[in-house]
Amino acid sequence: MNFNLDFFVRTFFLALAGLPVTVGLTACTLALAAPCALAFALVRMYRVRFFDKAVALYVTFLRGTPIVLQILIIYSILPSALNAVALRSGWKLDVFAVNPFWYALFVFTLNTSAILSEVFRSAILTVDRGQLEAALAAGLSHFHAWKRIVLPQAFLVALPNLSNATVNLIKSTSLAFMMTVRDVTAIAKIEASYGYNYIEAYLDIFIVYALLGFAVQWAFSAFERRLGSWRKKALFR
Amino acid sequence: MMNIRNLHKSFHRHEVIRGVDLSVHRGDVVVILGPSGSGKTTLLRTLNFLERADEGEMEFGQLKLRMPRATAKEIAEVRKRTGFVFQNYNLFNNKTALENVTEGLVAGRGIPVANAVDIARRALGKVGLSDRLDYYPSRLSGGQQQRVGIARAIATDPDVILFDEPTSALDPELVGEILAIMRNLAAEGTTMVVVTHELSFAREVANRIVFMDGGLILEEGSPADFFASPKEERTRQFLRRLDSVGR
Repeated sequence: MNFNLDFFVRTFFLALAGLPVTVGLTACTLALAAPCALAFALVRMYRVRFFDKAVALYVTFLRGTPIVLQILIIYSILPSALNAVALRSGWKLDVFAVNPFWYALFVFTLNTSAILSEVFRSAILTVDRGQLEAALAAGLSHFHAWKRIVLPQAFLVALPNLSNATVNLIKSTSLAFMMTVRDVTAIAKIEASYGYNYIEAYLDIFIVYALLGFAVQWAFSAFERRLGSWRKKALFR
Repeated sequence: MMNIRNLHKSFHRHEVIRGVDLSVHRGDVVVILGPSGSGKTTLLRTLNFLERADEGEMEFGQLKLRMPRATAKEIAEVRKRTGFVFQNYNLFNNKTALENVTEGLVAGRGIPVANAVDIARRALGKVGLSDRLDYYPSRLSGGQQQRVGIARAIATDPDVILFDEPTSALDPELVGEILAIMRNLAAEGTTMVVVTHELSFAREVANRIVFMDGGLILEEGSPADFFASPKEERTRQFLRRLDSVGR
């Protein structure tokens, strides 16, 4: 077995060029999925008729099926479906010229919103009802009571799980290559296919994702420490 | 100033308030006594709509409304004119003592921050916490937290302050501090409705005692009348029991 060091080093830097896509996909997904997830969580907590059951079903389904299959199914169906809609409504859209990034964004947003809705719901449940009651009794509107008192406290509790979800999302985006998105994994695999240097390529992207994962986890920890100055000292250190 | 007529409230088919009338006049200190389960806390909570009454009419100043049908606007109006002090303080954990008091002023009433801070400082000074303005609730003792809770309630200058067993979660040494603050408030003419088990407070500060049992008001009167010559047997029984515990 030969280890092509030259290829290893060269491909590492080539793969880094895929970072903007990987990080961009992750960031955009979070930006879109988080507000949806918060809405889903509130719908379930306020037990809005019909919608709470619909959301529960949506969450169960998307969390319970492999993301690989979600990608395959949506990538097979969505472009054709979009094409049909475009033809019928006279909208000029060449579905095959659409950057696959948008299809990837769609799949990951669907999946992540389901996961985050559970993260938010469980975090909100940890906030004592009395906080909301005291806010309302002090004259705050429901909106302000949630925004200024309940959600900030829930957010802090959600941070470890959010960190988890973000790191998992980064890892899942490595599957975006299946939709021909040129992310870190795609670039490395393509390079490898020229000379069959798969081992070096896999090691390269492994290192890139590891560094990314460490950075994200560190950032979340620092964020949690800064935001959490008002908390009681934790039971265990 | 505040009149409640024919109040009813059930939880899951168990009727907890079975037809209660209550009048509160400016400057009154109404103390509600009664055994657990009598509905006294629920009664208090329906007054500012933390619980939604099933039936009842409220007259509060110029406001007249049917309690089960009160609109969000009417509820907000009632809450703007009442203060509430909770048994377990319910301070905003993510805000300092000062911020706890300014929150209702700034976010609840749109008062500019600078004015709100002044008002809050004065309120906190009144309860003796001027040196703890920047402390978070996690670093305050129970007594200090309740004092912030009281400051939070008085800062908005409400028409009436509702106290839900304000000292029940405090250890005996701290109970006295809080009762002293409440006594001062009463002396200044603050209108208060207090649910409590502290008979001494009832005897010395209240100008009216309301005794509840089983969802109904059994007896009502001045402290002198109430403690010296209770009319109902159940009242006498209650007072005997509490006295024997050595309060």
